[in-house]
Amino acid sequence: MNDKPTLNKTLKAVLYLLPALVIIVTFSIYPIVKSFFMSFYTDYDYFKDLVYARGLDNYKVIFEDPEFWKSLGNTLLFVVGVVPLSIIISLVIATLLNQKIKFRGLFRTIYFLPFVTSVVAVSIVWRWIFHSQYGVLNYFLGLFGISPINWLTDPTWAMPSLVILAIWKGLGYNIIIFLAGLQNINQQYYLAAKIDGAGAWERFKNITVPLLSPTTFFISIVSIINSFKVFDEVYALFGGQPGPAGSAETIVYYIYNKFYGEWDFGVASAAAYVLFLVIFIFTLIQLYFGKKVNY
Amino acid sequence: MQKEALSKGFIYLLLILGSILMLLPFVWMISTSLKLPNEVMIMPPKWIPSDIQWSNYIEAWFSAPFAIYSVNSVIVLISSTIGELITTILAAYAFSRINFYGRELIFSVLLGTMMVPGEVLLIPNFVTLSNLGWIDHYQALIVPWLASIFSIFLLRQFFFSIPKELSFAAKIDGCSDFRFLWSVMVPLAKPALITIAILKAIGSWNAFLWPLIVTSSEEMRTLPVGLISFSTDAGTRYELLMAASSMIILPMIILFIVLQKYIIEGVARAGIKG
Amino acid sequence: MKKIINLLFVCLLAISLAACGTSGKTADPEKKTTAEIPTKIDKPVTIEFWHAMTGGLEKTLQTMTEEFNDSQSNITVKLVNQGTYDDLNKKLMAAAKSHTSPAMAQAYGDWMQDYINNELITDLTPYIQNKTVGWSEAELNDIVKVFREENTWNNKFYGVPFNKSTEILFYNTDMFKENNLTVPTTWDELEKAAQTLTKGNVVGMGFENAIGLNFPTWVQQAGGKFVDVDSQKVTFDTAEGKKALTFLNDMINNKKIARLAGEDKYMSDPFTRGDVGMYIGSSAGISFVSSSAQGKINWATAPLPGDKVASTQFQGTNLVVFDSAEDQQKLASWEFMKFLSSKEQTIFWAKNTGYVPVRESALKDPEWLKYIEENPNYAAAEEQFDAGYHFPHLNGAFAMKSAFSTEIQAVLVGQKSVEQGLKDAQKNSQDALDKAKK
Repeated sequence: MNDKPTLNKTLKAVLYLLPALVIIVTFSIYPIVKSFFMSFYTDYDYFKDLVYARGLDNYKVIFEDPEFWKSLGNTLLFVVGVVPLSIIISLVIATLLNQKIKFRGLFRTIYFLPFVTSVVAVSIVWRWIFHSQYGVLNYFLGLFGISPINWLTDPTWAMPSLVILAIWKGLGYNIIIFLAGLQNINQQYYLAAKIDGAGAWERFKNITVPLLSPTTFFISIVSIINSFKVFDEVYALFGGQPGPAGSAETIVYYIYNKFYGEWDFGVASAAAYVLFLVIFIFTLIQLYFGKKVNY
Repeated sequence: MQKEALSKGFIYLLLILGSILMLLPFVWMISTSLKLPNEVMIMPPKWIPSDIQWSNYIEAWFSAPFAIYSVNSVIVLISSTIGELITTILAAYAFSRINFYGRELIFSVLLGTMMVPGEVLLIPNFVTLSNLGWIDHYQALIVPWLASIFSIFLLRQFFFSIPKELSFAAKIDGCSDFRFLWSVMVPLAKPALITIAILKAIGSWNAFLWPLIVTSSEEMRTLPVGLISFSTDAGTRYELLMAASSMIILPMIILFIVLQKYIIEGVARAGIKG
Repeated sequence: MKKIINLLFVCLLAISLAACGTSGKTADPEKKTTAEIPTKIDKPVTIEFWHAMTGGLEKTLQTMTEEFNDSQSNITVKLVNQGTYDDLNKKLMAAAKSHTSPAMAQAYGDWMQDYINNELITDLTPYIQNKTVGWSEAELNDIVKVFREENTWNNKFYGVPFNKSTEILFYNTDMFKENNLTVPTTWDELEKAAQTLTKGNVVGMGFENAIGLNFPTWVQQAGGKFVDVDSQKVTFDTAEGKKALTFLNDMINNKKIARLAGEDKYMSDPFTRGDVGMYIGSSAGISFVSSSAQGKINWATAPLPGDKVASTQFQGTNLVVFDSAEDQQKLASWEFMKFLSSKEQTIFWAKNTGYVPVRESALKDPEWLKYIEENPNYAAAEEQFDAGYHFPHLNGAFAMKSAFSTEIQAVLVGQKSVEQGLKDAQKNSQDALDKAKK
């Protein structure tokens, strides 16, 4: 068992890693560095690759831009709206699916379906579902005496619409992971608890939740990172606009718009870095608490 | 015992209700896609079209060059999936079986880059590709996606679960590392590789922002990009829009249903070991 | 400590200024003002024309392009649809960066401003003035004045007007008859008509989602001004601005007698479904309304109602040539631009789309006069030439437009008060202009 790093092994590893690293360095790591530098370009000719001045102005601009704060706020709202709800719903469904029931495979397939679909295509479908006059959602609400909601045109409802779509789309992925986590829990615990007379809720609370915490931890990290990056849904659901009066503008949309709408690459890169920092801090916090929960 | 049956009934009720909510958008999509134009915008909505209009699919298909879009999507899907599998197998092997200088460091740097939002990379990547003269060519749609840190991570986890003793045994038999990888590790990792492949296929088929930006001519567009430009054209002709959306959604659903065992097991494994 | 920071700051400033001074930002000495341009195309050349025309508009453009291609032995024009205008602009910018610009594209005036600042598009003056392939003085002045001005920067022509439209009022004649209404010509009449038409599922009046972009028109109708071009001062937050926005806000949010297109995207759909009684929108909507109104509603058009004065913005894109194209391609593009803006073609285009002819001679042509007599719906747009203006050339116009249109939209969807919206519209647009000045 003499497995220590040696020069020889390192050379060999380089050969194995080369194809992947060439791609990753060129298309992930270099751009990360490059756009970091771009975030300090304050005066430049984008088309000729000439930079005349550098400075911190871009960061100043975004911190003073109310639109930036609004989009950051919307993004946080989206994260807070999607992540906990999605985790709770998928945990419940996964627990139900983990019982001795028939058609488990069928149910699992159904819940997973949205995950494999094109965001663009389903957003167009949801645009039609959310239609205020002829949409099927308002029709159902109407059956319960709820008057029509302008899902896509009322600024108050733009974010909730987005959250509904995102939860629907991502539920299946979380359910599958939870199911796997549940199946890893030794059935002996449940049997023992049953013998001790613990009810379903108590078993759920005292066995399932704590033993599942590594899974929950994994799902929450992945969901939070993904939710911070939400863009396609916004773009397709509101037809290229960030919701009515910019009410569903997320941070990535802000970046996209600075890049492609206003040609302000320095500011866009700065905003992208702020987003990166926010995600990074969140992940660190979670890792910190995750460690505590895990052990 | 009666209580048991009651709670079973309750479970089924909840699950069925949930399933209906998950399926409803698809049902509504297909139902609308088969309607006559004058049955689309009516209240209360009609669930079953009075006259099934398969011709909507034909009309949608020919209203835009969907044949070209599909061919492009398939080409991109196949080549980027195969390419990613190769780079992933090699890299995951190095990370799991070769103990080299800086292994942990490089791996953490890679994991760190996963946190960077893809949009940060967009413009510099665009510049790189345009300097290479690849914009509006297949290379631009394929090459940047030939490696995935997530897949390497996933496969590395799987490789860890293969007992080390196997490789010692192979070494004693005089099997080279490379042969060992392809003849022992890869076949053993088949489920994980299928998972990676299908996740890649789904991602590639559904990708939107990148193909939107690196293609300009109609001949290079992929399906989602084509669908968005079609949606400007079709306006509020929802029966055509829904027909076009179905055509993009259904292939992935079929692929998933056929291969669901692998994807569900694979996704689950990634989650547990993560 | 503070001193050190200050010192550092000054140093930084000095460095950045120095960097600015030495490298200089001014354009290369003019390459070819009177430069030689080729006047003959002797071998086959293909040019791409990127556009944002959809539906009937695209079909008409295809017909015209086919006619042009057939008439030419060496030039082939390839049409490339880039989706919406927004998509087109983004695509053009991306293409400029990747050196894959097309030879020709449609471009709005504010995009052209940006393209000129970045030296992306070709000065067409040498082509226009060329004796062999150019226009005579009369031919040039035949282009409608407001369009000529829009394409001129420092006495240089950068574009040729193509699909020009203005806003007009569309109304449902069946509903107007039922309610004994006459066509509104003032704001008051517009509001009364909307009030009368609103019943049951019908909302009286409709506005396009892009109404924020056209808000300057409403300010001008109220007798105000929205920007002072010389001093670059934005003036939305005035009595007239307030009057205009209050009027719109009352109709939409307080009295609920008007609506925005919302998820229908364009008013032509709800209008032809009979969900609204009238709407204000681009004259280019005529082709969409007439194709989907068939068998559903009867309709007509009229010039915009005014308040203190009549005012309407002439919008729509111009044709531009990218500087990256080869000389032969530029010449080919110029030939195609001449073709599209010729009297015959501009009439054909207008007849099939609802855009206005861009030549005075076309407007007076018997063929066109006969056509609008038979189809009076097409007349409403050109009747407004006297009241027409084009969005002024301002550095940062693109950013300014998106700034104020977002704020106006925020008011009209009920998210901000009129006062707050105007204040923010003024401030954000001013910021956009100031930023571009730097």
